[in-house]
Amino acid sequence: MIHRLIYQGPAFLVVGLARLSAQSVIEGKVELPKTHSAPVMNQRYGIISVGGVLAPNPPVAVVYLEGTFPPAAGRPVRQVVQTNFTFVPALLPVQVGTRVEFPNHDPTFHNVFSFSPPKRFDLGRYRPDERPIPSQIFDKPGLVTLRCDIHEHMRGLILVLDTPHFATSDADGRFRLTNLPSGHFVLKAWLSSKTTLEAAVDLGTNATVHRDLP
Amino acid sequence: MKTLALFGGALLALPALGGAVEELFDRVDESLTLSAFDDRWRARLSGLLDLEGYFFQQPTPGLLNTAGDRLFAPRLTLFLDTQFGPHLYAFAQSRLDRGFDPGDGPARARLDEYAIRFTPGDDGRFRLQAGKFAAVTGNWNARHLSWDNPFINAPLPYENVTTIFDREAPARAADFVHGLNEPKYEYNPVAWGPAYGTGLSASGQLGRFDYAAEMKNTSLSARPESWDATEIGFGHPTFSGRMGFRPGPEWNLGISGSAGPYLRPEAATMLPAGRGVGDYREWVVAQDLRFEWHRLQLWAEVYEARFEVPRVGEADTLAYYIEAKYKFTPRFFGALRWNQQLFGTVPNGVGGRVAWDRDLWRVDLAAGYRFTAHTQLKLQYGFQQETVGPHRSGSSVAAQFTVRF
Repeated sequence: MIHRLIYQGPAFLVVGLARLSAQSVIEGKVELPKTHSAPVMNQRYGIISVGGVLAPNPPVAVVYLEGTFPPAAGRPVRQVVQTNFTFVPALLPVQVGTRVEFPNHDPTFHNVFSFSPPKRFDLGRYRPDERPIPSQIFDKPGLVTLRCDIHEHMRGLILVLDTPHFATSDADGRFRLTNLPSGHFVLKAWLSSKTTLEAAVDLGTNATVHRDLP
Repeated sequence: MKTLALFGGALLALPALGGAVEELFDRVDESLTLSAFDDRWRARLSGLLDLEGYFFQQPTPGLLNTAGDRLFAPRLTLFLDTQFGPHLYAFAQSRLDRGFDPGDGPARARLDEYAIRFTPGDDGRFRLQAGKFAAVTGNWNARHLSWDNPFINAPLPYENVTTIFDREAPARAADFVHGLNEPKYEYNPVAWGPAYGTGLSASGQLGRFDYAAEMKNTSLSARPESWDATEIGFGHPTFSGRMGFRPGPEWNLGISGSAGPYLRPEAATMLPAGRGVGDYREWVVAQDLRFEWHRLQLWAEVYEARFEVPRVGEADTLAYYIEAKYKFTPRFFGALRWNQQLFGTVPNGVGGRVAWDRDLWRVDLAAGYRFTAHTQLKLQYGFQQETVGPHRSGSSVAAQFTVRF
């Protein structure tokens, strides 16, 4: 396969070699907090209210590999959707340099903003079919809290990471990181702004490592 | 002065501490939100702490209730929002302050709003609410709280007291047109703020239309002391309603109406023979408009009101405002509001007619800054000018610092 790629051009060679050296996997489970939030929507003065019961947010973890990695090739694009008066997903991990779009899927205006130090912005009030979809580039690592200036209960998080290797756990805490390079790294599990679990991992080529946190 | 300097220093430090302060407030919010029965029952306690200061010339503008030329009016407002499944929702608002309208009275705690709402379907087509809550008319009531409004005071239709007097009936027409001889707080505006009367409402959404109708114990102009059902019963109810239309998400156009007796029971003994307080109504027809697009928001309301005044006849007035808010940066916004009120004529008791109050206009200019997602400072300047009679004018400056939790 390497032979064929070399003959097709140097760009394929780089991608092919990188893939060959990035086949390791870490899987495991993070012990998640027992609590979950069941937000309440303030409907005091709204003449119109459709639904009104918000989906509860089960705790999840963002698991990532800390180390020195090349920056993202191109500019990845992800989305945080506003639907049923909540941010979906409620927690989105992205790599530094990612553009995040904020499409509005509710039948009313939303106004996404953040005052968090890594990214301060205010998208203003925009309609469901707003084009182009309002977006922001997240160019500094850190935690960004998303809010809506119209609906005070709405809160979402974007965790901007300086690594391309991350995944969100499921509601039971299970995670799987794939296509990892070999080497010595620190595996971290972000649970909240106050709690990040970590463990050292050694990855060989094409290795599958099982690691639970803590 | 030292307190002011400390307060200013704390404000300046807020943006630097922004992330930590926001996390603290978010944790407080989470700890004040409870759920049970597999999340079918949920409750959230939240609040606003307002520190307000006013500097003005007498007579005081709007519903400010003091004899001095400055006022400090702190206010703590607590909200309870609770729901049981998708069909039952209840809320309450209590306040600790120096009077419902900013004044220099002693600190008091009140239960200003409480209501339970039943929504039988899932599409928002119909819902029924009972309790003590803001009137359904117009579009200002939905944004009258300090965090939601770019201004510190209310627009002219909601706070400019007129010659209407709800505790007594004039003995003759000349007494009515003689002017404001009692303390200002004894008189009534077209609508007294959000008019938290007690009663029932039905509302809902049908496509691009929304509707709301209510039966309350008091008229829109009724003073806060009248809003409780224990103070004024349902013997002479007020009926109000609003029909809204949204041609697109940016727009909301509405037309409202209200009719109901405005005199308090103690005025009954002063009425002409054979007449009761139920014979003298406040009639209101209002139009409202809202437009929002990105950083710009516009609101406008026009109130046409008629008061049936004993021994005088029909006293008509038109009050309107147009208001714009623009967000210059994520934290900084500015707002401008133009208000005007015009008065019709009534018999003067000697064969002629005379305007029953003085026409006036007021311009309000405000700027606001959000230090964090939970703290906000607003500054406001207002200038008011009467356009008839002695052409009295006055200006006021106000500042309001709000903490939302």
